[in-house]
Amino acid sequence: MVPYDIRRDWLREWRAEFAYTAARAARANRPMPLASLPRALGAIVHAMWLRWDRWRIEMISQDVKHAIRSLRRKPSFTTVVVLTLAIGIGGTTAIFGAVNAVLLRPLPYPQPDQLVRLYKTTLEDADRVGGTVSPPDFVDWRRDNRSFSEIAASITGSLALTGLGAAEQVPAGFVTGGFFDVMGIRPAIGRSIGTADDPMGSRDVVVLSDQIWKRRFGSNPGVAGQQIALDGVSYEVIGVMPEGFQYPLRAELWVPLRFSAREIETQRGAHYIDVLARLKQDVSLDRARGDMRSIAARLAREFPRTNRETSASVHPLRESLVGSVRQSMFVLLGAVGLVLLIVCVNVASLVMVRAIGRGRELAVRVAVGAGRASLVRSLLVESVILAVGGAALGLVLAYWATSAIASMDSSIGVPLINQTRLDYTVIGFAVLVSLMASIVFGTMPAWQASSIGDVVMRIREEGGSTTSDPRRQRLRSLLIVAETTLAVVLLVGAGLLARSFERLLAVDLGFSADAVQTFGVSLPTAKYSTPVQRQQFFDTLLARAAQNPNVESAAAVFGLPLSNFRYGISTSTRDGLTLSDDDQDRLTLQVRLVTPDYFKTMGIAVVTGRGFTPSDSLGRQLVVMLNQTAAARVWPDQDSLGHHLELGTRLGLGGASAGGTVVGLVADVRDFGPASRVAPTIYLPHAQWPDDSMTVVAKARNHDPLSLVQPMRALLQELDADVPMSSVRSMPQVSAIAVSQPRLYLVLIASFAATAMLLAAIGLYGVLAYAVGQRTREIGIRLALGAKRGEVLRMVIAQAGRLAIAGVVLGLGAAVLASRVLRSQLFEIAPTDRLTYAMVGIGLLLVALVASWIPARRASRIDPLAALRHD
Amino acid sequence: MRRLSITAVCVLQAIAGGFHYGFDIIDQTELPSGTVYPALGRLERDGLVKSAWENEADAHADGRPARRYYKLTAPGVKALGEAAAFYRSLLPAGKPRAARG
Repeated sequence: MVPYDIRRDWLREWRAEFAYTAARAARANRPMPLASLPRALGAIVHAMWLRWDRWRIEMISQDVKHAIRSLRRKPSFTTVVVLTLAIGIGGTTAIFGAVNAVLLRPLPYPQPDQLVRLYKTTLEDADRVGGTVSPPDFVDWRRDNRSFSEIAASITGSLALTGLGAAEQVPAGFVTGGFFDVMGIRPAIGRSIGTADDPMGSRDVVVLSDQIWKRRFGSNPGVAGQQIALDGVSYEVIGVMPEGFQYPLRAELWVPLRFSAREIETQRGAHYIDVLARLKQDVSLDRARGDMRSIAARLAREFPRTNRETSASVHPLRESLVGSVRQSMFVLLGAVGLVLLIVCVNVASLVMVRAIGRGRELAVRVAVGAGRASLVRSLLVESVILAVGGAALGLVLAYWATSAIASMDSSIGVPLINQTRLDYTVIGFAVLVSLMASIVFGTMPAWQASSIGDVVMRIREEGGSTTSDPRRQRLRSLLIVAETTLAVVLLVGAGLLARSFERLLAVDLGFSADAVQTFGVSLPTAKYSTPVQRQQFFDTLLARAAQNPNVESAAAVFGLPLSNFRYGISTSTRDGLTLSDDDQDRLTLQVRLVTPDYFKTMGIAVVTGRGFTPSDSLGRQLVVMLNQTAAARVWPDQDSLGHHLELGTRLGLGGASAGGTVVGLVADVRDFGPASRVAPTIYLPHAQWPDDSMTVVAKARNHDPLSLVQPMRALLQELDADVPMSSVRSMPQVSAIAVSQPRLYLVLIASFAATAMLLAAIGLYGVLAYAVGQRTREIGIRLALGAKRGEVLRMVIAQAGRLAIAGVVLGLGAAVLASRVLRSQLFEIAPTDRLTYAMVGIGLLLVALVASWIPARRASRIDPLAALRHD
Repeated sequence: MRRLSITAVCVLQAIAGGFHYGFDIIDQTELPSGTVYPALGRLERDGLVKSAWENEADAHADGRPARRYYKLTAPGVKALGEAAAFYRSLLPAGKPRAARG
C-alpha cells in the first residue's frame, strides 16, 4: 500500500516505534501485544494516508488534465459514452424520483406514520384494504375505540361555486370535525372545521385550499367571514389551509359532513364514508387492529341485520393511497435499473476498446516506470470524468422527465405522482448511481488493460501479431452475452405488456360512442329544490341541444361508463316478495339514471322489450330496464320482462323505493373498464327519479365531438349562468383515460426495452468490428490460402450468432423467472406466453444478424495483399 | 497558506519543545499515532519540518533500531508563531494560560 519509494522509510520508522513501545511495555510489565495494538492501527492509518496523499497529488496534477486532454482528442467516443450514460442515469433518476414521491418520501403531514385509514370489511377478508363505512358504525367506532387520539369521516364530491365570475364545479371534501386534527394541519388563515360544526343545522361554513384561495379569491388575506355560494347555498368562509395541503387528494375546499339523528339510528347498512384516524402515541398498528376487530365483533352481535359477518381493518394511510401501484412502481424501477446495467456494460465495452487502442501509450507509460496501480488509477479517473459528464447531462434529462411525470393527469390513478420532483434525495440517488456506474464500467477495463502481462503482449503485438488476444476478446464477449440477456428480459416484459394491452383494447365495451361529447352538469340544490324543477331543466337542456344541427342525439346519464362511478344498491323485493338478507346482498345492482335517448346516443343495443320514452315520467307507472347480466341474475330461469323489483333506496327523493316493472333489456356494458367483469346494472328513467347531478352525452353528426363543446357551453350559459359545466371530455378521451395506466406502463417498459436492444446491438457491432479489425491479417492469410469469401462472411456471422444465441437462451430463461412480477399487470395472457418468447428470441437474433452484417461484409472484402502488409 | 490545524500546532509545538521522535511527539501531544504520522507527513510536504535518520551505528550501540527525527524549519517556526498567536487570541481575555511543556 505504501508507495514504493518511501516504503523503506515507513518500515524503519515503525520498527523504531514498535521497539520503543516494546521497551516501555517491558518497563511497565504490560503484555506487549496489547500495548502495540494501537500502534499497529496507527501504522495502517499512516500507510493509507501516504498512499492517498500520493494519489491525490498525482491525480490533480496529472491524471485529470491528462484524461480531459485525451477525451477531447476523441470527441465521438466521448459523446457516445456521455450520451449513453446520460440516458441510463437520467432514466433511472427520473423513475426513482417518481418512486420517491409515491412510495418513499414521508406524506406531507405531521407524524405521517400515525395516520391510518379504517375500513369496514368482511370476516372472510378481514384485513382487506378498502371498504367504506356507514355513519352509525363510524359514530360507534369513534366512541368505543381506545387506540386513536382522533378519528374523522370524510367523503369526496364536488360543489358548484357561483357568484364570483364564471360558475365552476369544484372538487370538495365533506369532513367531520376532527378531520383537520387527524391530519395535524392548522389553517394558514382563520380556523378550520371543528366538532362545533358537526350538529345538523349549524351554520354552513367552508375552508378553502391555498390553490383556490389564490385562483378565485386573489389571495385576499381578509377572506375569512366572506359569504360564498356553493350549489346555490350561502357558506361562510372560515379559513384557508396552508399551501400544499390536499386531502382527499383532489379537494380544493372543505365543508362539514353532518349526520342527522335519524341517519345514525337507521342507516347502519349505508356504507359511503371514508374513515381516517390518528394512532395514539404509544399504540401500535397491531393493537389498533385488535381493538377495531373487537369493536366490529360486538357491533356484529348487536346489529346482525347489517353487520353480520363484518369486521374492520386498519391500514397506514400511505398503503391505502398507493398500495395498488406499489408493485408496478418497483417493477419500473427494476426495469430502468436493467437499462442502466446495460449502459454500464456497453460503456465498459467502449472504454475497453479504447484502452486497447491506446496500447502503445500505456505500454510506454509502463516502460518509463508507471506501476499497475497508477495505470488503473488514470483509467479510473477517465471513467469518473465520463461519469460526471454523463451524470450532469443525465440530471438535465431527469429534470425534464420529472417535470413531465409531475404534470401527468391525475386520472391515470397513480396517487402522489404529481409530487415528483428533483429534490436532494433524488439528486443524491443520481450521484450514487453515477458513482456506482463509473466503478462498474471503469474498473473492469482498467484492470484488464493494465495487467502487466497484457502490456508485454501489447508491445509484442505492435510488432505485428496475427490474432487478437483471446482473453480480452473473451471478456468482451461475456459482456455482450450479459447485455443481450438483460435486453431479452426487458423485451419479453415489453412484449407481454404489449400483447396484454392489445387484448385490453380489443375488448368490446358494449357501447360505441366515438362521436360523443360528454360534460357534467350539477344543479345548485337551493335553486332546483323540487324534482319537477330538475326534470324540467334537463328536459329543456336536452331539447335545446338536439335542435343544434350538428347534434344527432343528446341524452343525460347519472353514472357515465368508464368514469369509475360505483353506486351499488341491494334489491329488496322481487315480484312483491321481500328477499332474504343473503339474496338482497347477492342481488346488488349498479344504479344508473338515464334520459330516453341515452341508449341510442351511446350505441348501446336494446336487446328485448322497449327503451324509455318521454311518457315514462313522474306520476306514471314506474319502469326499469336491466342489462343482460342483471336480468340473468335476478330471474335466472325466466324472461324478466313484465316482472317487478324494488331496490333498498328511495334515491334521496322520499316517497316510494326505487324500482318498477321491467320493460326492456339492454346489452351489457363494461362500466368499470375492459379488464373488469360486467356488473349487473339497473337503469331507471331520470324523469321518474330526477337527480340534480347528471352527465350530458351528445353525439356529433360530423363525428368531431369536440366541436360540440362551445355550442353546449353557450347553451348552458344561456339557460342558467349559475350552472357550471364540469369534466368536459369526449368519449374517446374517457376510454383512453380508462386504460391510461396500462398504456403508460407499457410505453415506459417498451421504451426501456427498445433502448436496451439498441445498446445491445451497438455493443455487438462494436465487438465484431473490433475483432475483424484485429484479425485483418489472419483473414487475409486465410483468403490468400484459398478460403472463399462466403466462408469468411459465415465465420464472422457465426461468431456473432454464438454470442447472440447464448444471450437469448440465458435471457429467455431469466425472463421466465422475472416476468412473474408482471402477473398482476397482465390481462388474459400468461407470463410464460410462448409466442411472445419466440418472437423476442427470433427478433433479437435478427437484430444480431443486422448488427454483424457490416463487419462481416468488411471481413469478406479484405484484400489479401493489403492485409499481409497490415501493421 | 492555509492556517495550521490544532493538531499541526500541537505537533509543531512538541517538536519546538524538544521532542524530536515520533513516539516522543505521540506521548507529548497525547494524540493517536494514526493522527501524528500523517500530520508529520503533511508538515514535511509543506516544508514546515524536515526529517533525518539518526546514525545507524549510534542506534546499534544502544541496541535499538535507528529513529527518524524531526526538526522545525525556518518557515515552520514562523508558521507556528502565527498559528499559536491566532489560537491564543481565541482564548477568553485575561491571564493567558501557560502553554504546556
